[in-house]
Amino acid sequence: MELIYPYFRKNALKIMLGILFMIIVDGAQLIIPQIVKGAIDTLSTDTFERSRLVYQCLYIILLGLGMTILRYCWRNLLMGSARDVERGIRDALFDHVLKMDSAFYDKVKTGDIMAHATSDINHVRMAFGFGLIALVDTILLGGTTLAIMAWTHPKLTAIAMIPMPFLIYVTRTLGKKMHLHHTTAQESFSALTEIVRESFLGIRIIKVFNFENIISDKVGTASKDYFKKNLKRAVITALLRPMLGLFFNLSTLVVIFYGGFLVMQQSLTTGELVAFLQYLGLLAWPIIAIGWMTNLYQRGMASLKRINTLLDSKPAVVSPVQPVSLNSLSGNICFEDIEFSYNGGKPILSNVNLDITQGSKVGISGPPGSGKTSLVQLIPRLYDVDQGKILLENSGIKTIDLDFLRANIALMPQESFLFSGTIRENILMHRKISDAALDNVIHVCSLEQTLQKMDKGLETIVGERGITLSGGQKQRIALARTLIVGKPIIILDDPISQMDTDTATKVMSRLGRMNLAATIIIISHRISALAFCDQVYILQNGKISHSGTHAELIEQDHFYRESYRVQQFEGAYHA
Amino acid sequence: MPDTPFEEKESKLANREIAKAIWPFIKPFTWMLGLTTFLVFVVTFLDLLQPILIQKAFDGFIVPVKDTVGVELFGISVRSFKTYAIFFALFILTAFSLDFMQTLFMEYTGQKIILNLRCLLFSRMAFLEVAFYDQNTSGRLVSRVAGDVENMNEMFTSVLIFIFKDLFLMAGIMVILFTIDFTLALYLSLLIPILVVTIAGFSKVSRKAFRTIRQKIAEINHSFSEGIIGIKIIQTSAAGNSFFQRFRKLNFEHFSANLFQIKTYSIFMPFIGFLGVVSVAVIIWTASFQFLDNALTLGELVAFLTYMKLFFRPLRELSEKFNLLQNALASAERIVTVLNINPVSPAIDQEAKGIKRIDTLSFDRVDFSYKKEEPVLKQISFDLPRGNSIGIVGQTGAGKSSIINLVTGFYQPDGGKILINNNPHHRVPIKEIRNRLALVMQDPILFSGSIRENISPSVLAVQESVLEKALHDANCDFLFDKFDGLDTHIEQGGRPLSSGEKQLVCIARAFAFNPDLIIFDEATSYMDSQSEQKVHDAMQRLMKGRLAIIIAHRLSTVQECDSIILLRDGVIREQGTHASLVDSKGEYYHLLLKEQITPVNVPA
Repeated sequence: MELIYPYFRKNALKIMLGILFMIIVDGAQLIIPQIVKGAIDTLSTDTFERSRLVYQCLYIILLGLGMTILRYCWRNLLMGSARDVERGIRDALFDHVLKMDSAFYDKVKTGDIMAHATSDINHVRMAFGFGLIALVDTILLGGTTLAIMAWTHPKLTAIAMIPMPFLIYVTRTLGKKMHLHHTTAQESFSALTEIVRESFLGIRIIKVFNFENIISDKVGTASKDYFKKNLKRAVITALLRPMLGLFFNLSTLVVIFYGGFLVMQQSLTTGELVAFLQYLGLLAWPIIAIGWMTNLYQRGMASLKRINTLLDSKPAVVSPVQPVSLNSLSGNICFEDIEFSYNGGKPILSNVNLDITQGSKVGISGPPGSGKTSLVQLIPRLYDVDQGKILLENSGIKTIDLDFLRANIALMPQESFLFSGTIRENILMHRKISDAALDNVIHVCSLEQTLQKMDKGLETIVGERGITLSGGQKQRIALARTLIVGKPIIILDDPISQMDTDTATKVMSRLGRMNLAATIIIISHRISALAFCDQVYILQNGKISHSGTHAELIEQDHFYRESYRVQQFEGAYHA
Repeated sequence: MPDTPFEEKESKLANREIAKAIWPFIKPFTWMLGLTTFLVFVVTFLDLLQPILIQKAFDGFIVPVKDTVGVELFGISVRSFKTYAIFFALFILTAFSLDFMQTLFMEYTGQKIILNLRCLLFSRMAFLEVAFYDQNTSGRLVSRVAGDVENMNEMFTSVLIFIFKDLFLMAGIMVILFTIDFTLALYLSLLIPILVVTIAGFSKVSRKAFRTIRQKIAEINHSFSEGIIGIKIIQTSAAGNSFFQRFRKLNFEHFSANLFQIKTYSIFMPFIGFLGVVSVAVIIWTASFQFLDNALTLGELVAFLTYMKLFFRPLRELSEKFNLLQNALASAERIVTVLNINPVSPAIDQEAKGIKRIDTLSFDRVDFSYKKEEPVLKQISFDLPRGNSIGIVGQTGAGKSSIINLVTGFYQPDGGKILINNNPHHRVPIKEIRNRLALVMQDPILFSGSIRENISPSVLAVQESVLEKALHDANCDFLFDKFDGLDTHIEQGGRPLSSGEKQLVCIARAFAFNPDLIIFDEATSYMDSQSEQKVHDAMQRLMKGRLAIIIAHRLSTVQECDSIILLRDGVIREQGTHASLVDSKGEYYHLLLKEQITPVNVPA
């Protein structure tokens, strides 16, 4: 509830006004029969005055017009407020998702979040909008009717209320079940969304291995699961409304039986009983509305709870409350006895010590799974270390303001990802950057020719994952994105893996000529990238096994020498 | 990214077309829907019967009209008030069970139709060409299978059944109105064309609004999907705020479209109510003349007005259903558009023949482009017989991966021929070709599930020993050392494996597949040279008696291939063995020289 309370406050005036208009319209509806009665009286009098009838007919039309306008207003006010809730929660959800840490993304499923952002929010919106309307109607209509009933005949009213405790009990019990089944159904919907999403993302693999039927079966199974859970929810829903109708009818029965008894005893007139039954009839709609409301409310609350759980997840990596005041970072990085694991699982890094001085170029290499990517992701605090310390400027990184820290680090992740948009947008990432700087990175990343070949050059739109581009092209755009803003620390995770040797060499030498004062950390298996570095560290099983310059490592380290030999092989073969 | 008109195309279809496409899903359930509609009528009938039953209580027991106490209920004469009460209780219980059954049947039918629709939609989509996926992002497509199908639910339940009931009720009441007073009823029926025009106009405007809403929902899904995949880039390039602003804008557009829809509906519904009120005034006015002419009694007028009120109630409900219908149809358009895409590539010949195995693969002057006027491949020719391997090198963007897109049938060539066993490849069912080839792509894609499911997802699972051997050959021993071997659980995006490890598993998948033709598209880019070497050694063994295409940017990767193609700008510049290309001292040779970085002597 806390989540939607602010929207109640924000839209209080609209909601109040909407409810007020609704009440007026409900009232006006009662006037019309009175005028009709008047008109018929006009007709039946002996001295028929046409002018009077004209007046009455016009009055009906005017009243109708007024009601139409007010109805238009309250619908807009109330439904609009509900949509505002929807919009607000969705904004909050997106904002929250952007602010979470990497550990969160390791656990969460994209499809699940998508389901939260669409289906669940929709249920909350319906509970807020339609639920509110039904609530007002119930209280207003039900309340007044009940008051009149109690006023005219308290004893009969008490008798009529006999089934009500059962009604409340059943509504509550079924409501709880609804809540439960709705939650499981939504969970199943999340899972379904995720399977579909993943399948579309990997469609090429599915096609080339003829997995289409297998994946369709998988989606079929997930759909069936959702169907079953949805049906459970539907059974409860299908039970509630007729059940409420049954209770209402029981009330009628009790009133007829007991009232009839009273009439026979002559302590009640027939007319009184008839009138009472008429009023009881007016209760039918509010009681049905209770069922509708319960359904909307339970779904809304269950979905709200799901959204709340997501929004309540707090990032483990947080900015310090009182960060050390730093004006700039120079690029001295020191790793002290670093231990790291994902979620306290198997150790990924152990006993890592590094001392990187400002402006140096550091290479990191090692077999797959040795912890290279994990190591560099610790610097911008995408994850936090289990033990040990990372120092920048002699301050532990946990004491530095997180936004400031990340603003000083440029990181190029290993698998290049392009957002759907133009190449220019992908490089600039909404940052204000001069054309000269853009031209410069385009040159460094050897993108001139690539862009020239494209009709629209920088304005070329690249699809999801930049699919119409080759791996090397994507990688160079990702590299340009990383290099375009001068930052004191630049981390390149496998920057040239997808480029051909010629392009890679060109890019590396141009990068060298940029004369960046920055500290550059490069993860690579390519000797051309590692030879560029002042110091190279070899990681094996989460430990630094060797370190040294290119020349030293060729002398000392078996892994490095082998890599070098393999990559130089054909050179030695013929040249 | 802001300001980029990159939204999906609007799906717009005629209702007739939608009905035609959706009908097959409804058809198997017509009897169920018929039964439910029947129950709806019974329940409505029982509802109308209740006042009569109450009247009988008065006439028979409370204030007996006859000398003897008692009534006839459905042919049974009831003598005591208690028996009547039991009868009444039974009556309402019956009404309750029928009502429950009707609702349940309706829900079941709706959900079942939705289930079938979703399953078919997905499997149809899975068989669509890759080009379709290159043009539509996964986030947006997910929207159709998840949200849009869901959005159609109401169409199969409340809308379909209740529109029927409401129309029936309205027609019945209209008949009664005509019997009460023909002239007045004639005046009232003037409403019908107004109603039709109003509903048609509203439907059009409303559909347009719903169309935008559904489109924006797809965009919202896409934003979440993209934001999450690219989160590390967003966070480390401090672009979070601008991404959030862009999302806000999108969300606001969705909000505005909804407000517009609410406005439309807020005019429509009260207008229908207004028509009801105006009708009352008009009828009274008209009736006044008839009354003065003594052509109408007051009682008749009152009865007419009462029934008229009853006429407007189903009309209001019908209008509500129309709104739901437009919402559902906006989603239906998006679904039917996809269903209507012909999944079979037009190039596939009717006389397609099966093949036992792939013996040769040839390209004969193949031209290809993704977009017209922008050729990607020009006059590509090569022959690859069984037992041989071909290496393709060249700069990024030279067209290497495009060749793979053609071999795998993801795309069709513009000109020239691709021959499999000397048959034009469109004469061979693409499924047969794919059944015999294994592809390892640049982007290592693993699905969530176990390693076992990833390598061999089919029901006819490959033997454990085969899987283990494939993993071992692909240098995947780390799975057993560090993780749970074949049962290692893979999460979204291939976690917890590193990129290099994912590549190794993808290679194992190809090995386990036991293909005739094996294609490596920069399959070892994330690996160190030694892992790569091991994989290539394994591949050399594996390749014996098979066909192989290896795309690489490092010449060392392809030097052992029987033939090497050097591509530049979509044209084959050089072709031959490593030795012959080195001897000719052309482009390949120069690239080779460049690949030597520093002339450091290697200790043997």
